Amino acid sequence: MNSIKNLSFIGICMAFVVIALGAWTRLVDAGLGCPDWPGCYGFVFWPNDEVEIALAESRFPMFPYDINKAIPEQVHRLFAAALGLVAILLVYLSFTKTKNNSIKKLSLFLLILICCQGLFGYLTVSLNLLPIVVTTHLFGGFATLTLFYFIYLKSRNFEVFNQINISKIRLIASIAFVVLIFQIFLGVWTSTNYASLACADFPTCQGSYFPEMDFRNGFNLNQEVGPNYLYGLLDNPARVAIHYSHRVSALFVTFIFLVLMSRLWFSDAAPLASTLGILLITQITLGIINVVYVLPLYVAIAHNLIAACLLLATFTVNYLAWRK
Amino acid sequence: MTLLKSYYQLCKPNVVYMMLICAFVGMLLAEESVNSYGYLFVALLGITLCAASAAAINQVVDRNTDASMTRTDQRPLPQGEISASHASIFAFVIGLMGALTLYFFVNTLTMILTLASLVGYAFIYTIYLKRATPQNIVIGGLAGAAPPLLGWSSVSNTIDPYALLLVLIIFVWTPPHFWALAIYRKDEYAKESIPMLPVTHGVVFTKLQIVLYTIILFIVSILPYVVLMSGEIYFFSALTLSTIFLYYSVNLYFSKDNEDAMRTFNFSIYYIFLIFIALLIDHYLI
Repeated sequence: MNSIKNLSFIGICMAFVVIALGAWTRLVDAGLGCPDWPGCYGFVFWPNDEVEIALAESRFPMFPYDINKAIPEQVHRLFAAALGLVAILLVYLSFTKTKNNSIKKLSLFLLILICCQGLFGYLTVSLNLLPIVVTTHLFGGFATLTLFYFIYLKSRNFEVFNQINISKIRLIASIAFVVLIFQIFLGVWTSTNYASLACADFPTCQGSYFPEMDFRNGFNLNQEVGPNYLYGLLDNPARVAIHYSHRVSALFVTFIFLVLMSRLWFSDAAPLASTLGILLITQITLGIINVVYVLPLYVAIAHNLIAACLLLATFTVNYLAWRK
Repeated sequence: MTLLKSYYQLCKPNVVYMMLICAFVGMLLAEESVNSYGYLFVALLGITLCAASAAAINQVVDRNTDASMTRTDQRPLPQGEISASHASIFAFVIGLMGALTLYFFVNTLTMILTLASLVGYAFIYTIYLKRATPQNIVIGGLAGAAPPLLGWSSVSNTIDPYALLLVLIIFVWTPPHFWALAIYRKDEYAKESIPMLPVTHGVVFTKLQIVLYTIILFIVSILPYVVLMSGEIYFFSALTLSTIFLYYSVNLYFSKDNEDAMRTFNFSIYYIFLIFIALLIDHYLI
């Protein structure tokens, strides 16, 4: 049990790293940094010196080599592969070191999920950044992180949690979870469609509280990708629709979370409430900085990671509320 | 028979009924289950008599103003159905009966609270506040908001924080409720030089205040859920009702139609009624 606890903790940390690297790849527009999969221009790492670069370009004459885009993409893949190894080890340990059936099932499910993630990583490249694929890939990443965390929670019985009784807040906790996932979808969709800078001002968008928006095209999940989807293809009103939805939805999420936090507070679970509150304030601040300071790279990555933290925190609340 | 009806009208039955519902809900929420319905009936009777007394005193004090406003000129005193002295004696007698009922059969705390709200409404509000400041109904609203506390304390013999929360809901609800009517009756208030907000600060400003108070009400109405006093049934009811109320008040803000003020006023009555019904249903189903 101890080894499962430690390994799932390592899994959580690595999943955070892989998510951060994925966000980095997306934000420096390096999603197509390597035209092939799983290697990069046929290399395990990436072409480094002049000889290797010449070889790489002879292999893929249609894709001029850019080392600044190859590195993020391939580093993301290598860390993801390492995470896959952790998952395999976790399945092995859960079947040999514990009789806990739910951990066995969860670790198996986790391994399958990570394999799917690899496949989606491949589809991302081969389908030229088709938005729905990119979005699903990021969701899969969040799900992977949550599963590692779930196994960690199950393998390690925190004593502080035993004193918490929050079965009264089940429904609002579930609502908060659903609403948060929807908000994460809108955030991912914003990033996938390059809509983060569609509104350069805050709280107004293009000087108006009711900007011109095109929801039909903004949320058409079957859109055409053309030769590839790098830098996005939607026209401005469609991007504004996506971006502004993420903002308005954030207000709604904040409201639901305020209710959830208050109820946690009155259920003598103030630490949980404070954690959610700090994460929420941080996340909103980062979101505003993203808009006002034109998407600084590290702020954008942090916005992504805090979203993951919020997901885990909300998951914890649900775990505690629904446990028997 | 007509005289009996006049005395009945002297008690502002519609207002008193609404107060009774709020007090009754306060009683039912004070405990997990009801021990004695007879006791609740006696307590309600005491509160009713005091509330009716306050209404009668209000009509005695305001009889001249009432006579010149179309909303109130049908009341028994302006109609000459009852003399002012008879109405005063009637008010004094039922008020005393109510206070004694509460003192002997309920508890001293409830009697004090009930008399305090009687004095607050019938004297402080009617005689002084109403003509002194446009914040009249905001401050005076505290007396009108007391019923759930009275009901609660009659059962628990304490001033419960949850009961104060119910008071807070009515307290915050009163200004948008009353100001909607005041906008509709603005000219009549102006004629009587009663400093209602639309008269002193204009209709647009009042409409803005209505919107702002409705936003506060939206938040306050969620509080019983937030502090774990109520469950999800109440939460969703309050969300829905408050959203509709907010719609009415925002609509009123942008509207030029005076009838919208009356629609907002009418909805506000349904609002407070349904909020308390939701509290009750939630209490017994969860």
